[in-house]
Amino acid sequence: MKMSIFGFRPTSLSMVIAASLTLAACASAAPEPVGVIRVGMQPMVQTDPAFISSDTEVLFANHVYDYLVDVNPQNQVVPRLAAEWSVSDDGLIYTFTLAEGVKFHDGTSLTPEDVVWTLDRLRDQDVGSPAADLYGNIEAIQAIGDNQVRINLDQPNPFFLYDLSDNHALILKANTPDPATAFNGTGPFKVESYSPEDRIVLTANEDYFVEGAPGLAGMEIIFFNEDSAMADALRGGQIDLMMRMSTALFESLKVAPGIETYDIPTNGFDLVRLRSDRAPGNDPRVVQAFKLATDRAEIFELIQQGYGAVGRDSPIGPLYVDYYSEEEQIPARDVEAARALLAEAGYEDGLQMELHTPDTGGRPDLGAVLKEQWREAGIEVEIIVEPESVYYGADGWLEVDLGITGWGSRPIPQFYLDVMLKCGAKWNESHFCDQEFDDLVDIAGSTLDEDVRKAAYRDIQRILIERGPVIIPYYFAQFAAIREGYEGFELKAFAGRTDLSQVSLSQ
Amino acid sequence: MTKESTTAGVTPARVWRPFTVLTRLFGRPASAAGTSIVLIFLLMALIGPWIAPYGVNEQIPSETRQAPSPDHWFGTDHLGRDVFSRVLFGARDILLLAGLGTFLAVLAGTAIGLLSGYRGGTFDEALMRVFDSLLAIPALLLALLLLGVVGPARNALLIVIVFVYTPIVARVARSVVLSVKSKGFVQAARMRGESETWIIFREILPSAFPTLTVEGALRFSYAIFLIAALGFLGIGVQPPNPNWGLMVAEAREHVFQTPWALWMPALAISVLVIGVNLMADGLRRVLRVPGA
Repeated sequence: MKMSIFGFRPTSLSMVIAASLTLAACASAAPEPVGVIRVGMQPMVQTDPAFISSDTEVLFANHVYDYLVDVNPQNQVVPRLAAEWSVSDDGLIYTFTLAEGVKFHDGTSLTPEDVVWTLDRLRDQDVGSPAADLYGNIEAIQAIGDNQVRINLDQPNPFFLYDLSDNHALILKANTPDPATAFNGTGPFKVESYSPEDRIVLTANEDYFVEGAPGLAGMEIIFFNEDSAMADALRGGQIDLMMRMSTALFESLKVAPGIETYDIPTNGFDLVRLRSDRAPGNDPRVVQAFKLATDRAEIFELIQQGYGAVGRDSPIGPLYVDYYSEEEQIPARDVEAARALLAEAGYEDGLQMELHTPDTGGRPDLGAVLKEQWREAGIEVEIIVEPESVYYGADGWLEVDLGITGWGSRPIPQFYLDVMLKCGAKWNESHFCDQEFDDLVDIAGSTLDEDVRKAAYRDIQRILIERGPVIIPYYFAQFAAIREGYEGFELKAFAGRTDLSQVSLSQ
Repeated sequence: MTKESTTAGVTPARVWRPFTVLTRLFGRPASAAGTSIVLIFLLMALIGPWIAPYGVNEQIPSETRQAPSPDHWFGTDHLGRDVFSRVLFGARDILLLAGLGTFLAVLAGTAIGLLSGYRGGTFDEALMRVFDSLLAIPALLLALLLLGVVGPARNALLIVIVFVYTPIVARVARSVVLSVKSKGFVQAARMRGESETWIIFREILPSAFPTLTVEGALRFSYAIFLIAALGFLGIGVQPPNPNWGLMVAEAREHVFQTPWALWMPALAISVLVIGVNLMADGLRRVLRVPGA
């Protein structure tokens, strides 16, 4: 602990001095941003906004680029590059007016053509962005005049604004040859350097169109392969902020001196999924056996230590108060029934499988608990722990038969259904294909009648409990720990979407 | 000179008699302590699974994060597993792997070293240069490289230990050959027209035995360390294996809540390694192996 005290004092002191000097120097004008925040994150692989998925990738892109519309921590859609918008009565035509004075980092101004090009690129199936499915419903996108964009939909989509705030929908400069390396955004920070596996150094964009942002002169994303090393770095003062971590790490940082902690409920969850397009997962009895062999409440207590909520095998969690339903009972754990089902399915002598899991958060522990619970039902798994960047980077997570995946929190439940559970969806890792389910997803995603949608979501939850090849044992809380001396930090449920442009040094 | 003189010229003090050696080991406090530790751990490995109060991966959800108590001597970890039981199970795992790996490495290394040293010439030169280049790579790094190629299976650890330690043992065996090759009893055997195999294994090997025993004991302690280190790095063994190194790695995150889950397996590693080293040191004195 001594180390951290000595590591912390000089930096914070010098920051305060620097801050007061700068304030004194320009008392009249808007305060120059000072200070740097160093964020510890897992290494990133994808730098093209159309393909980002991890928290690090999204955090990076979210500060270099801007969304057309954003979602605030209260889950409401708020303006970003689009200053205002209107929707036609039939819900088919959206007209966005762009904010004024927005410049890309290369000095050129934002035009409606940039927005059109970006969104066309995202929905182009040949480009292959995971967001393409999300925008399949767009009929046409066109620029109107010099500051408006009009989007026509095939059919009404009540969540369209949320879809536009999807992680990938960051506006790029039109005709950027290689968005993965150009880093030409309109965002609050500019890329100064990117050293893969090491760090990204960002500096404040002084021409940023949002008044008073960014509040800091710079931001560094420093990569750590291991969360506990990251926590040590935070204690020792080598980084200032860490988000998304296991409950145990959070508990340990809660009592560390000089560090403030935040925890908020989310709809994020760990998904335990079985591939259902080939043996053994293509037998519904096997799927049932896995579900019956699992004790969700026990897992919740062991892994989450009371943070978050017990899961119900559906991505529609209690955070979505309008849609979450506890109507359908989850069958109680029944080891004998699971064993019998396995025997019926031809696995009288038990079932041996590999359980793949990334090495982050509580996932290896979740694997260890599942192994014990399943063993009683005759399911023997060998746990294969892989570094997260390898597991997700090489698409192995879409291939393996049995795996654990962490899914971040999204503002609407429709997202998970569209990209994770609909037949043929890009991230349908369980390869689930169910006509009744797909129809319900389509209804829920298109109807303008709120009651119809609620009913559809209720049926979706029932189907997933009954026969979805997925187990969601808990919804987690989101955690963050930040060194004292910063203000304006507001953690978001999807940690990568946290807006650090509002953070500044405490006065 | 008694009956041993039939093994051509080896002095009695260098003859390897297990029981005498053991008695002499207990003659000195340090080596007695070391040998006792090793014997206790061996006993743990043998009967551990029967005396362990809980299953190796048995999780008791109502008893997570318990401090050491009469119920749980070493406390419980964050998943409610009894740390004492896991350390016991881990003893078997690590001793078996390290022991078998070292044995095979000593076997292979001795054969290669004796042959190479006795034959000499280009074959010897070439082989030793290859070994030199292997020895230039730190053992842990070599192990990581190998595991990358072989894959993270548990048996791969065995291959790794054999591969990493064979060159080292071979060099030691070879140095012994070089020092006795020109001695009278070897020359005499050659004059008698004994075969090469006879000379190597019946004339030279006995004089290399004490050195190799000490070397083997040392390698054993390094092997324990290597397995624990690889486990700690999460390579080679997968959770929930009770590998002590892996247990330390898993407990590290929870160190503020369950420090005992980290300390106990770490203590087991250090006590065992110290014990083996003390024993090796004692062996060196008892067997009068010069140097090191």
